[in-house]
Amino acid sequence: MRKSLDFLLATITAFCALVAVALLVGLVAVIAQRGGPAVNWGFLTEQIRLVGAAGGIFWNLVGTLILLASALVVCLPLSVGLALVERVWLQREGSRRLLRTLLYTLNGVPSIVFGLFGFVVFVQWCGWGKSWLSGGLVLALMMIPTVTVSLIERLKAVPAKYVEAAAGLGLNRAQIVWAVLLPQAWGGVVTGSLLGLARAAGEVAPIMFTATIFAGATLPKGIKESPVLSLPYHIFILAQDSFDPSVGSKLWGAALVLLALVLFLSVIALPSRLKLHEEANV
Amino acid sequence: MTRALSWFFSLVALGAVALLVGVFVWQSLPVWHHEGWGYVTGTKWFFRQKEFGTLPMIYSTVIVGLIALVLAAPLGFGAAIFTAEYLPRRARLAVKVLIELLAGVPSVVYGLLGILLLRDWIYNLFEKFEPLSGDTLLTAGVLLAVMILPTIVTLSDDALRGVSSAQRRAARGLGLTHAETVLSIAIPQAKRGLGAALLLALGRALGETIAVFLVVGRQDNNMPEHIFSLRAWLEAGQTITSKLGGSETNIAYGDPVHWGAMIGLALLLLIMTGTVTLLGTGFGKRSDA
Amino acid sequence: MKFLPAFLALLLVTPTLFAETLKINGSTTVNLPAAEATEILRAEQKMDIQVDTQGGSSGGISMLGDGLVQIGMSSKPVSDDDRAKFPKVKFDEIHIGQDAVAIIVSKDVWDSGVHALTKQQIQDIYESKITNWKDVGANKSIRIAFFNKEPGRGTWEVFAHWVYGDPKKAPQVSFPEVGGNEETRTKVSSTRGALSQLSSSWADGKKVFALGVKGDDGKVIDPTNENIANKTYPLSRPLFLLTNGEPVGAAKSFVDFMLSERGQELVKKHGYMRLKDLGK
Repeated sequence: MRKSLDFLLATITAFCALVAVALLVGLVAVIAQRGGPAVNWGFLTEQIRLVGAAGGIFWNLVGTLILLASALVVCLPLSVGLALVERVWLQREGSRRLLRTLLYTLNGVPSIVFGLFGFVVFVQWCGWGKSWLSGGLVLALMMIPTVTVSLIERLKAVPAKYVEAAAGLGLNRAQIVWAVLLPQAWGGVVTGSLLGLARAAGEVAPIMFTATIFAGATLPKGIKESPVLSLPYHIFILAQDSFDPSVGSKLWGAALVLLALVLFLSVIALPSRLKLHEEANV
Repeated sequence: MTRALSWFFSLVALGAVALLVGVFVWQSLPVWHHEGWGYVTGTKWFFRQKEFGTLPMIYSTVIVGLIALVLAAPLGFGAAIFTAEYLPRRARLAVKVLIELLAGVPSVVYGLLGILLLRDWIYNLFEKFEPLSGDTLLTAGVLLAVMILPTIVTLSDDALRGVSSAQRRAARGLGLTHAETVLSIAIPQAKRGLGAALLLALGRALGETIAVFLVVGRQDNNMPEHIFSLRAWLEAGQTITSKLGGSETNIAYGDPVHWGAMIGLALLLLIMTGTVTLLGTGFGKRSDA
Repeated sequence: MKFLPAFLALLLVTPTLFAETLKINGSTTVNLPAAEATEILRAEQKMDIQVDTQGGSSGGISMLGDGLVQIGMSSKPVSDDDRAKFPKVKFDEIHIGQDAVAIIVSKDVWDSGVHALTKQQIQDIYESKITNWKDVGANKSIRIAFFNKEPGRGTWEVFAHWVYGDPKKAPQVSFPEVGGNEETRTKVSSTRGALSQLSSSWADGKKVFALGVKGDDGKVIDPTNENIANKTYPLSRPLFLLTNGEPVGAAKSFVDFMLSERGQELVKKHGYMRLKDLGK
C-alpha cells in the first residue's frame, strides 16, 4: 500500500512535469512552424511594405534595440545605486527589508500601469509626444527590480573574508565597494540586465502609449515627437488589423524573431546564473 | 562620493515610484468625487453618460486570475514536486532551465496563439454550454494559466528545495517512504513558499494586459447573476487591463472625469497586484540573510 | 556594452539632415492606400513621412487640431463639434475615395437564409430586442452573436449615423467589442451566428458575408460598387485627407499624389472606390 503510494506520487508528478514542459515546448514549436517560412535574411533587413504584407521587419528590430539600449543605460546607475544602498550603506536590517519589499512590490506592478505613467508624465507633461526616450525610461523603471535584486543576491554571495581582508588593509567602505564588491558581484548586474532586457523586449503595454507607432519611423531625431517602430507592437497591431491573408506567415515570422530575441537574451544569462546556483547549493 | 552617488540614484528611483503612485491618486480624484463609492460598486460603465461603475471589471479581473490559478496550480505543484523531489541534480537544473526560458515568451505571442488557436478550441469544447463565441473569461483564464505555469513551477521548486535535507534524512531514517516524506514533511514545511508562489503567480495573472485583451471579448457591463457558474465564465467580459489597453484610453485624456475613471482603474489594479505581491513576499521570506 | 553611450550620443546629436518630416495620423481604413503611398514616395522622392493610426478617424482629427500632424486621415466628415473644439483650425476635407460599411455575418447565418435586413431590424438587434436569427428570417434557431465595432472607429460611426441619424444618439450598449478589420473578420468567421460592422472591401463572400439593406418597399440593396457610387446603398463613407487650410510643402506633394492616377489606383487596389468611380 505504502509502496504503491510511492509509485503513484512519482508517476503523477512526472506526468505533470511532462505536460508542463510539453505545453511550453509545443508553443514554441507552433510558432517556429508557422513563422519559419517567413524568416530569411531579407525579412530581417528590409522594412515593412504594404502594411505588413510584404517586406521585412528591419526598422522594427532597430526600434526595439533602441528602446532596450536606452532602458539599460538609464536602469544601470539606478539599480547599482539601490543595491549598494541596500547592501553597504543601510545598516539596520529593518530598513534593508523595507527596501527589498519595495523592490519586490515594484516588480509586481503590471506593465500597463508603467505605460500609463509614462503617458502622463513624458508624453503629456513633458510635452515629448510619442518618443523613444519615454519608452526607454518606462522600460528602465520596469527593469530596476530585476537588476537590483540580482546584484543584491550576488553581493550577498561575496565571501565575507574578502571584505574583511580589505577592511583589514585599511580600505574604507567606498573603496571596498570598488575594489572588492563590484568586481566580484558584477556578474549579478550582467545577469539581471539580460533578464530584465528579455522581459522588456517583449512588452507592448509600456510602449504603446508612449513610444511606438506602427509605420513610418526609422531612426529618431531628437527627443520630442520621435517615436520608433517596435517588434512586439507590430505583432500586436497585425494580430488585429492586417490587410492581406498573406500577412499571416509574416506575422508568425515576426513572432518567431521576437521569441528568438527574448530566448537569446535569457540563454546568455544562463551560465552566470547556473554558477551562482552551484555556489549557493554547495 | 560613492556613498553620495548611490544614495542619489536610489532616491531618483524611489522618487519615480512615489511619483507614479502620487500621480495616479491625484489624477483619479475627479472620478471619486463624481461617483463616490459607486465607482467600485456600480455595475454600469457608460462613459458618454458619465457613468463609471467598475464592479464587472473587478469581477472579471479576479475571476480570470482565479481560473488561471486553479488550473495552473495542481499542474505546477505536481511538476515542481517531481523536479524537486525525484530528479537528480543535473536533470532538475535542465528541466528548470527549460521551463524558465519558456517563461520568457512574450505576452503578445501568447495573445496570438490565443486568438488564433485557443479561442476556437474552447468554443468547440464547450459547445454544449452554448457560449456565444470563443472570447470568454474562461479562454482568458486558460491562456493565463499557461503563462503563469512556469512561475509556479520555479518558485514551488525553490520552496521545496528549501526544506532542509536533515529533516528528510530523519524521516527516511524513521522508515517513511519517499512519497510519505514528500507529503508529510517536505510539503508542509514548504507551505509558506508554496503559498508565496501562488500569490506571486496570481499577481502576474491579474496584471497581464495584451494576451487577455485579445481573447476576453471586451464586453462591458456583463455582471452575471451567478458569478461562480461555468455559464457565467463562458461569457465575454472586460478586465481592468483589457479596458486600459483599449481605445478608451486614447480618447479619455481631455476629460478630467473620464480620465480620472481610467486612472482610477489603474490605481485599483495597482492596489490589487500590490496587495497580492506584498502578501506573497511577506509569506515567503521567513528568514533572510 | 561600451559603445552604447556613444551610440546614444550619436542619436541625440544627429542633426536634422532631412527635410521637413511629414506626419500623418488617423483612420485605419484610409491608412491602407496612404501607407502604400508613403512607401512609394519615400522610395522615389526620398520624402520623410511618418504614418500612424492612433485613435482612428477621431485621433486623426484631434491630432490635426492639436497641430501634432500635418495630415489627418478620416473616414468620416469633420463634425461641427470638432470644428468648435479647434476654432483656430481650418479643417480642409480632401476627398480621395469612398468606402462602404457592410453588415457582415458568418457563413451559417448566410446559409440559413438571411441575406438582408431592414434598418428597423438592425436597430432592434443593436438594442438587444431581437436576439435570435430565426426572428429575422433564418430557417433555424441561431443566437445572434454581435461583435460591436469599437465606438469611435469610422466604421462604427457610419453605422450609427445611418441607424440613428447621429452617432451621439446611439444608445450605449454592452456587446463584445472588436477593434481592427482583421480581428473583426477573424472573430466573425469563427463564431456561429455572428454579426458585425466591417468595411465592405473586407467582406470576401467566403469567410464572411455582406448583408443587403432592405428598404420599406422590400427592395434589397447590396453593397456593390454600383450601389455605392449612385448612393443607393446608404452605409457609405468618404475617405478624407484632412489638412489645416490649403496643403503646402510636403503635405501638398502627398495630397497631389493621392489624387493622381497612381494614388487613385492605390485606393482601388485596397478595395475602395476612386473619385472616378463616383462620377467625380
